[in-house]
Amino acid sequence: MIEVRNLTKVYPGAVALDDISFSVAKGEIVGFLGPNGAGKSTTMRILTGFIPPTTGSATVAGFDVVRQSLEVRRRVGYLPENNPLYPEMRVEEYLEFRATLHQLPRSRRAAAVDSALERCSLGDVRERIVGHLSKGYRQRLGLAEAIVHDPELVILDEPTIGLDPIQVRHVREVIRELGRERTVILSTHILSEVEKMCSRVLIINRGRLVASGPLEDIHKFTTTGRTRLDLRGAPSGAREALGKLPGVANVVEVSRGNDRTFFVEPRDGSDVRSEVFRRAVEAKWEVLEMGPERVSLEDAFVELTDRSGPVADALGAAGEKGVGA
Amino acid sequence: MRSIAALVRRELGVYFVNPMAYIILTALMLIFGVMFYSETNTAAQWSRPFTFSNLLGAIAQLMVFVAPLVTMRLVAEEKNRGTIETLMTAPVTEFQVILAKYLATLIFLLYLLLPTVAHVILAGKYGTVDVTETLTGYLGVYLITASLFAIGLFVSTICGSQITAGVITFVITFMLLLTTVLAPMISDANWWGKQLRAVVEALDPFRYLQDFLRGIIDTRPLVYFLSLIVFFLFLSVRALESRRWR
Repeated sequence: MIEVRNLTKVYPGAVALDDISFSVAKGEIVGFLGPNGAGKSTTMRILTGFIPPTTGSATVAGFDVVRQSLEVRRRVGYLPENNPLYPEMRVEEYLEFRATLHQLPRSRRAAAVDSALERCSLGDVRERIVGHLSKGYRQRLGLAEAIVHDPELVILDEPTIGLDPIQVRHVREVIRELGRERTVILSTHILSEVEKMCSRVLIINRGRLVASGPLEDIHKFTTTGRTRLDLRGAPSGAREALGKLPGVANVVEVSRGNDRTFFVEPRDGSDVRSEVFRRAVEAKWEVLEMGPERVSLEDAFVELTDRSGPVADALGAAGEKGVGA
Repeated sequence: MRSIAALVRRELGVYFVNPMAYIILTALMLIFGVMFYSETNTAAQWSRPFTFSNLLGAIAQLMVFVAPLVTMRLVAEEKNRGTIETLMTAPVTEFQVILAKYLATLIFLLYLLLPTVAHVILAGKYGTVDVTETLTGYLGVYLITASLFAIGLFVSTICGSQITAGVITFVITFMLLLTTVLAPMISDANWWGKQLRAVVEALDPFRYLQDFLRGIIDTRPLVYFLSLIVFFLFLSVRALESRRWR
């Protein structure tokens, strides 16, 4: 669906994109992740034909975004950042206007508008003036606008920004629904969003692709390999007992009030949870919780975008496999 | 073609949902009514013939103030709101967008001139109105205003804000109005002065209007106005495309 090769965009005095390559297959929901100013919007603007790249090429559905811009634009639905709309138009009128611009024949226009209104739950505001809508409705109208002409590819730039949790949930539902029959690219700087919606993620920072791969790969790297064990009270000798287990390299003890938490680090990356469990049963420790230690996605993200640390390296390697999948 | 029709309809819609159209219309009718009254009154007092063409010339001069108000928002507003991004990522060309916006202003101009026809009818009821002179006069006013609109559209395309676009357009249209006064002030004692004066005189759109007001359709003013319009529409299209080569 999308082929991006060595894309570079230089603005006067700033490099927005630095040699980015990736591809997106048909039917994928791809999350474009990165801090503000990383180059997400620039990439999306190039893919929609709004601005040309400085060097490199991009094709959408086999059409070059620069030389066959109109063909690309016919096949793409786009929700730009900040969701610009015409405030003086009415909801239905606006969607009809967009459908006409996308050259939908008159016979199909009304049905297309109705279907977009329904998908985005805008039925009860169809006669309202866009400028009077709440932010949640406006965002949904932006989504409806992006899908009214039934595009093959939907590009959404920060689709949930500035919405309250209920509205966010609704918008996500709509996007997931879209992903069933279409290719979707969405950008965000919220990790949990990618986690909830995307099958694949591209992490971008300062104009460079830092990592890319399926979501499971990213999950793999959010664990540290250590096993976390929460015990009620402070059983004496627990730390030593755990340290003596075969395969355990190191144990860190952290006190939480009257209770204790142990981080058990295995030798050569093996799984020591069974041993830890048996030891706990033998010693009759009161176990509150046990499981792999997780790094929050936020921490993983910070580490990734800093381009240092083991997570970035490992993901980078996994990313090579992920590209073109 | 269908896209252009949709774009024109939207642009026209914007004029009439905003108070701007009604303010311009009301102001224009008020000023024109006062001028009509004073013109007929003087004609009656001094028992001179009343000519509607004088009034049409005055409308043309009023358009110097109207053109910036009508054109300033055309593209600058899209840029300001960010809607230029949704607009230009739809499968429409820059040419279609500029043409549609310009056509919308031309249609809006018809609305602006329509109420003045009431005065023609009124004048015709109590006297004789030279129909040919009036018709060519309207054509002249229409062409001169259309040229000012084309200039305004171009300025709006290169400006990021409506206010800037409005002010710059006003400066340009007002300078065009001043050429009538300025040209005779340039000394033609030496060769350079002579050339400069010729250029300023050639630029003066209101000089070309005189023919139309006398019932003459000459090809020279037609060429002048049409080339002015085509030139500025071409520049507007290029300016809108410029984000592609910047």
